[in-house]
Order: sequence, then C-alpha cells, then structure tokens
Amino acid sequence: MPMLGIENSIMDDSNDWRNAAHSTGTSIMAAEFDGGVIIGADSRTTTGAYIANRVTDKLTKVTDHIYCCRSGSAADTQAIADIVSYHLNFHGMELGEEPLVEVGAAIFKELCYNYRDSLTAGILVAGWDKRKGGQIYSVPIGGMCVRQQVSIGGSGSSYVYGYVDANFKPNMSKEECIKFVTNTLALAMSRDGSSGGVVRLGILTEAGIERKVILGTDLPKFFEG
Amino acid sequence: MSILAYNGGAMVAMKGENCVSIATDRRFGIQAQTIATNFEKVFQMGPHLYVGLPGLATDTQTVMEKLRFRKNLYELKENRLMSPKVFAAMLSNLLYEKRFGPFFVEPVVAGLMPKTYEPYICNMDLIGCINPPNDFVVGGTASAQLYGMCEALWEPNLGPEDLFETTSQALINAFDRDAISGWGATVYIIEKDKVTIKNLKTRMD
Amino acid sequence: MSVLCPEIPTPGFSFENCKRNAVLETKGFALPKAVKTGTTIVGITYKDGVILGADTRATEDTTVADKNSEKIHYLAPNMYCCGAGTAADTEMTTQMISSQLELHKLYTNRVARVCTANQLLKQYLFRYQGYVGAALILGGVDVEGPHLYMIYPHGSSDKLPYGTMGSGSLAAIAVFESRWRPDLEEQEGVQLVRDAIAAGIFNDLGSGSNIDLCVIRKGSVDYKRTFDEANKKGVKQASYRYPRGATSVLSTRVVDIEEVAVQRIEPERMEIA
Repeated sequence: MPMLGIENSIMDDSNDWRNAAHSTGTSIMAAEFDGGVIIGADSRTTTGAYIANRVTDKLTKVTDHIYCCRSGSAADTQAIADIVSYHLNFHGMELGEEPLVEVGAAIFKELCYNYRDSLTAGILVAGWDKRKGGQIYSVPIGGMCVRQQVSIGGSGSSYVYGYVDANFKPNMSKEECIKFVTNTLALAMSRDGSSGGVVRLGILTEAGIERKVILGTDLPKFFEG
Repeated sequence: MSILAYNGGAMVAMKGENCVSIATDRRFGIQAQTIATNFEKVFQMGPHLYVGLPGLATDTQTVMEKLRFRKNLYELKENRLMSPKVFAAMLSNLLYEKRFGPFFVEPVVAGLMPKTYEPYICNMDLIGCINPPNDFVVGGTASAQLYGMCEALWEPNLGPEDLFETTSQALINAFDRDAISGWGATVYIIEKDKVTIKNLKTRMD
Repeated sequence: MSVLCPEIPTPGFSFENCKRNAVLETKGFALPKAVKTGTTIVGITYKDGVILGADTRATEDTTVADKNSEKIHYLAPNMYCCGAGTAADTEMTTQMISSQLELHKLYTNRVARVCTANQLLKQYLFRYQGYVGAALILGGVDVEGPHLYMIYPHGSSDKLPYGTMGSGSLAAIAVFESRWRPDLEEQEGVQLVRDAIAAGIFNDLGSGSNIDLCVIRKGSVDYKRTFDEANKKGVKQASYRYPRGATSVLSTRVVDIEEVAVQRIEPERMEIA
C-alpha cells in the first residue's frame, strides 16, 4: 500500500498509514566462519515510504546460542520469534542442556509452514551447538527449511547474490568474515531503498554472542557513480 | 448512504445549573418516506436518567431492551439505582462487545448523579467510545447542524427555564435544515425534584 | 433458546450482527465510520523517567467529535499509555490490559514491569491481526528504569528512546530528531514534548485543541491534563440567549420525583453474655 498521504489521512481511510502493516523491508544475512557464525542486518523499519524506526534490532535472541534475523512483517516475525523462544527454552529446561540449532529451525519452520497463508516472514536461524558447531538455516516465506553455509534475505538481498557467490569462502577467520558480512550489507543497503541505517552484527560462537554496531558514517564505501 | 441515516433523527443533550436537558425529534421514516411522527427515541432508565438512541430504528429498540435488561439485573443484584456514569460504562461495553458487527446507534446519555445531583451528559460512537464533555452532546443525522447551533447558543450555568429554550431552539433550528429529522420534538428537563417533558410545535414538512 | 429465558452474555466479542450488516452493505448502505483520534501522540525518555504527550482532538470523518479527549490512558501506577487510531479500541484495549496488570501485580506482589505490559498489549493486538485499530505509545518506570515502547495495530513493537505516532507524527518527530538528546533534564524534556505536540496541533488537520502531558519518574507520576491550552477560543462578548417563552409548546407534563427516604437500620449487637 502506498503511504505518506498524511495530509489526506483524516479524509481518506484507505490512505491512512496506521492501517498499513509494518514491514522490515530489509537486508539480512548470516555466514559460517571458522568457529561459529556471523549474523548481520540493517536497521530500517518502514511503513510504506515512512521510516518508522531507523535503529531497529532485527537480530533477535531465541536462546543464548541461537539467534534469528527477521525480514517481512514486523508483527508476524516478532510474534513467531517470541513463540519459538518460549518453546525452545522450555525444551532446553526439559533437556537440561542447550537446545540444538536445528531444533530451533524446525520450530520456526513448523510455525511458518502451518500458518503460511497468513504470515509474511522470511527468517534466518543461526546459532552454535556442540554437535554441529556454527549453523545457519534459512526459513523463507512458504515455510521451507534448508541449511546453508551462507545465506542472505530480505528485499536488499537480491542486489548482492553475485557479491556473496564471488566472495564467500568456507572457514574464513572471524575478522575476514566480519569484513565480508559488513561489505555485503553495505552494498545491499546502498542499492535498496527499504534498507538502511546502521549495520548490526552478531558473532555467535561457543562463548555465546558478541554484538557490534557499525554506524552509517563508518560503513565501507564503494563505487557510487 | 449510511445505514445510520436510514430512519433519520436528531438528538441533543445539554448541561445546566443543577439540571440537564435531553431533546429529540419525533420522526420515524424509511429513507425519504415519513411513517410516523410519534416515535420514541429517548427512554427513561431511572428517576434522573435518560438515554437517547438515534440511528437505525430496529437497533434503537433492540439496544434499549438489552440496556433495560442489564440495568434491571444490576439494580436487583445491588439493591440501588444505577448512576448515569455506570450506565454509560455499561452501554459502552454493550456496544464494544459488538465491535466487529455493531449496532447502528450513536447514544446520548443525560442524567443527574445520585446524591450529589451533579449533571452528567455523554455521547458515544456506534462502538461505544464515551465522550463526556462539560457543555453539550449531539447525535443523529442532524449532528453537524446541531454542533453549530449548540456552539453558538450554549452558555454555562443555565437554569431549567433558560436551558429549555436553549435546547429547544438548538434542536428545532438544526433539524429544519435536515430533511429526515423533525416532525415534532420532545424536550426533557431533568431536575432534582422533577422532570418536565414538553412537546414542541414544529414544522411538519 | 426460549424468548422468555434471560440472555446470558458470553465473554468476548460477539459476531451476531455481522451477517446482517454484511447484507446491508451489499444493498448499498455504507458502514459508518467510528470515531478516530486523528492524533499526535509522543513519548520521550529523559534523565530520570519518561514523558508522554498528546493532543486532545477526536474526529469523526471531518467533524471534531471531541474537543478535549483524554488520550493518555492509565495502565498501572507506574505506567501510562498514549493511544491513537480508533478511539474505542484504544480506550477498551488499555482498560482491559490495565485490569490484567492489576491482577498480575496482586498475584506476584511486585510492581508490574513495562516489558510485561508491552507483551500483553502486542499479543492482544496481534491476535486481532490489525482489526483492533490501536496504535500505542507505552511509557513507564520499573525496577529496570525508564522504558518507552511504540506498539502498532498489527502487534509489532519497538523499544526506543523517543517516538511519535498518529497522523501528526511526522510534524512531531521532526522536533525530536532536531532537539532530543540523551539525559535531558525534566524541564527541557517537558518543553520538548510540548513543542512536539504543538507542531502536530498546528501542522496536522487531524490533531488539535490542548496539550496533555504525563511525567513518570521512579515512584511518582505527574499527570498534567491540559498542560497547555494551545488554542484559546475568543471570549463570547454577547449572548445569543433566547428569551423565555420563545419556543411554542404543544403540551407539558411534569413528573415529580419523590426523594427516596433511606432508612438506615443499625445492626444490633449480638448477645454474647
């Protein structure tokens, strides 16, 4: 729905920005490296053309070692993340140890598949467990679930598939991988109008998560014509 | 056309000095055709409590009966009268229960609070959003005209006689500019010791 | 059910009129619009708490339905909530969550936390998939300090240091983006919120009338209803009062109301000797 018809808002309900769903038209990604995974996202939330939040955190905690990157409807993805977090922590208590990443991904998939007609959610599930180390599962819009070494998502991702294919190498060092994720997101954000703001990063290893923020002014610069 | 304008009707309530008024037209029509000129839209819900239900006539009566039922049950359980404020809250909840399939009425409540005899008026939209102002409330198809009349005529601390003139003239002159309201009017002036009900002479066209 | 049986209301929304109303709609009777708050609502965090602000206009299409509407709703002693969108929805939603928070407080014997209120509100709104049209700014202070949440009708929420909502949100956010900074003093914060609401009132048609403020600190709340009367009406210089007897009356009926005599019966002491 096109938005920003605020001057007409009291006359015309169809143009009312409050009726529009909030979406994280987004750039998100996750990449395996030697010792864990790195997750990253931009920070823009839009309602049509209006930026409702320019400092959003789309890297959402599920358990201490499992995070997800959210894209699609903000309401849907927040609700799903809350529900999965509840189930997985309950499962963790019954198990008496940290839940596996693939179990987390399976719960995401179960919800996204069963409610595929009413949800708009593209989610990357990433984390570390002692059985398989760092893992990434992509759960795109229909509720599929597939493990990938590197995965990108959201509206900004279509601009950077080539960059990812050309530059991703398995078993990179942490610093190398941080650089790769930052560059990819910076490129996606510069081309995609509904992505922008800062880059948020999360480094998931055996130790848990380490968070980083790269401000808009500190983003790597590429050719801008 | 809105379904709220299917039968037509105009209503107003005002606060005065130790008194309140509520006034309504008397028409019942089906779109442009006038069926009756003695239709009741304001109902007594207690010695000092009246409610007006302008809107779709079938819902006027349905809502009135539901209200009377719930109010009677409250008064039997509590062994005391229902105050206008409580009544308004009850009506609001009754309407909001039907949030996704509303009754087409925009109620007006007028009364005096028990014991203190403090004036109380309010109106609501069709899903029960209460608006309790200090001056006046309006409802029905002539509400735009009524807002204009009331903004000009109303003043604070009107006694019962002056409140009657103000309310009556606001209503009459408003519904004369609405084709589907009018055909007689009734004004209720509610005071501590009495309620005065007056039928007005109006245009019948 | 027999017509003579009393109707026992079931809890929750009732959909019994929906079919009828849908038929009416197909016959060309447009469903009426409910009152919207049209609104500018804002909230900021400052050095030791949060400040919420709202205008006081409620609109029904282009008509001003309420010139002094109360848009800052009570949730708990340490929490308030600004509402924009469908007026009835914001009122009823906050009332219901307020009652749940009160019960939660009694069950747990603790001051309810702002994140709890946020979770209750967003889960309720998500359940109704945006059909309950309430856009809320939730502010409060708890054991963790001051918190501010923006909650949207579809059930998403953002935790932010400052934010605006409603049709006047663009005018108001411009004020915040240029002047908000961390650790504002209370006086600066109050002035900033006032200015943001004033920007909404004067630049957005859906917002108007007065400015309400609510300052929430640790352990105390200052609800400033009509903090600033941004639009003073010119004082009426003469009276349009009709003389008595101006209206022609057909009939008059006077119903006397007898004072209800309340007889208090003092309870007798029980014989225990």
